[in-house]
Amino acid sequence: MSTGRARLPELKDAVMENDWVRFLVSPGLGIGWVFLFLFLPMTVILVISFSAPGDFGNVIYEFTLENYQRFWNADVYKNIIFESLVYGFVVTLLSLPLGYTAGYFLGRSKTDWKWILLGLVVLQYWVPFIIRTYAWIIVLSNNGVLNQLLLSLGVIGSPLNIMYTNFSMILGLTVSLLPFMILPVYVSVSAIEEDQIHAAKTLGATDFRAFREITLPQSLPGIVSGVLFVFIISAGAFLAPTLLGGPNTRMIAPVIETVFILDFNWPFAAALSIIYFAIIAFLLYLFTRRVDLEEALETGAT
Amino acid sequence: MATDHATTGETDVDAERGYFGVTISSRVKWNLIRAVTVAVYVMMILPLVVIVINSFNPSRLGNFPPQTLSIRWYEALLADELMLRALLNSLQVGVAAAFGAGLIGTLTAMGFVRNDFRMQDALVIVLLSPLLIPPIIVGVAATIFFGQAGIPRSLGWLVVMHTLLGLPYAFLIIRSQLYLFDETLEEAARTLGADRLTTFREVTFPIISPSIITSMVIVFVISFGEFTATQFWVKRTTTTVPVVIFSMLRTSISPKIDALATVMLVVTILVPLIVLGIRRWVLKT
Repeated sequence: MSTGRARLPELKDAVMENDWVRFLVSPGLGIGWVFLFLFLPMTVILVISFSAPGDFGNVIYEFTLENYQRFWNADVYKNIIFESLVYGFVVTLLSLPLGYTAGYFLGRSKTDWKWILLGLVVLQYWVPFIIRTYAWIIVLSNNGVLNQLLLSLGVIGSPLNIMYTNFSMILGLTVSLLPFMILPVYVSVSAIEEDQIHAAKTLGATDFRAFREITLPQSLPGIVSGVLFVFIISAGAFLAPTLLGGPNTRMIAPVIETVFILDFNWPFAAALSIIYFAIIAFLLYLFTRRVDLEEALETGAT
Repeated sequence: MATDHATTGETDVDAERGYFGVTISSRVKWNLIRAVTVAVYVMMILPLVVIVINSFNPSRLGNFPPQTLSIRWYEALLADELMLRALLNSLQVGVAAAFGAGLIGTLTAMGFVRNDFRMQDALVIVLLSPLLIPPIIVGVAATIFFGQAGIPRSLGWLVVMHTLLGLPYAFLIIRSQLYLFDETLEEAARTLGADRLTTFREVTFPIISPSIITSMVIVFVISFGEFTATQFWVKRTTTTVPVVIFSMLRTSISPKIDALATVMLVVTILVPLIVLGIRRWVLKT
């Protein structure tokens, strides 16, 4: 026993110094977590997407292309994915100038309010999507705050029907995602040395030229990060189309949910998920040929 | 505020030169930027303020602004067992996921920064992939996976998945702190005879602990608000606040939702402020 006790620290050392053991704990634990709870489930739905649906959400494990044929033969699902990407594009295009302007202001302003304004964006970033989305129902619906205000001011005679339209959905989504654009732009703009801009001006550059040649290139990492987050989140949005959208608003996330929950058709929901994932992965691949994905994610997430 | 426009770094010469044949002074341009910024803030903040005000509105139809104020919807909230259960669940899952992602994120970030191994760049993307895969897909995939594995829905399931969703944030925040870290401190400790565990406990951990706390706060906030994936993972007894709000919205619009949303708003704002405040106070003393 006494020798056993004496060996224990040595054994501990041997274990701690073993490269494999160390790799398994750090970084292996995190990598393993993602493989086990994300990649393995993704593999499972890949397999199931080639299986047939049984009754009550059961899956019949027989190889079939049925789900993919169903997707390919009907235009409706192709259109829905296409429309989701278009909505994502529109929201990104709207949030870019708004978010950039606000981020630029925060980065350059010397007002005493700056830290409060910055804090408000961070708080906004934290507020759950469900609340930010719900807020627009109260504001925009027929007896909502905006209509009550406009009616009482006599600007309009009858309530505006702006709720449950593509407009309300795009507005809600754009505003919800603005913090994702503002924060990275602020970070990259505030890192620009003001002397460079002054130097350009002294050498005779116009405002526009100084912006184009100095500010814009140096704030590009912020723009890239913002665009990446806003596009991925808005194209895959579930809450905004469900709660704010109208009868003509069709996006992929609510459709997958309906197929999964209401139709109880797990294999087809799996196939739609795999197809949409493949498209997003392909777009990200195109994206990474031009920019560093890791850097873009890091700028956005920290 | 009058000195603001000077910060665009624009000189008076610009005002004379102009472009596109139009002369706009720097001051006007800066005021335009400020106006857009104000509009952005109004759009972001005002709807949330409306929720908070409406939660004190005694009228069910919610005429705005309310004529009188009351706390009847908060009383209704306190009497609703399902909602209290949901709030408790959300808090428990959020705290557990924060500790889970904080622990795993620390170990993983340490492993990436302190070791060299093959395929490091690809493995970083693996770790960050929960940020890239749309939550609707994560939701469906995990539900099918746990379902086929025969694991019933539980709070543990939620903790495991919310840890996954928070892990990229924890990893990135802690790693960026480790990059700033003076590695010779660790080497010194090891030369003086400390083993790896002691070195980590006595040297590394105290220095990176602020970033660990920050990352845990962010993971809590993400977990507390996550809906799209979580909606598939809950059952009646493990439901969370966002899921309850969503199902209430499906049936009726009632100021009770505003009250619950306000509670959620307060938690998401107060918890980080308190934790980060304590962190700051501890660091000072």
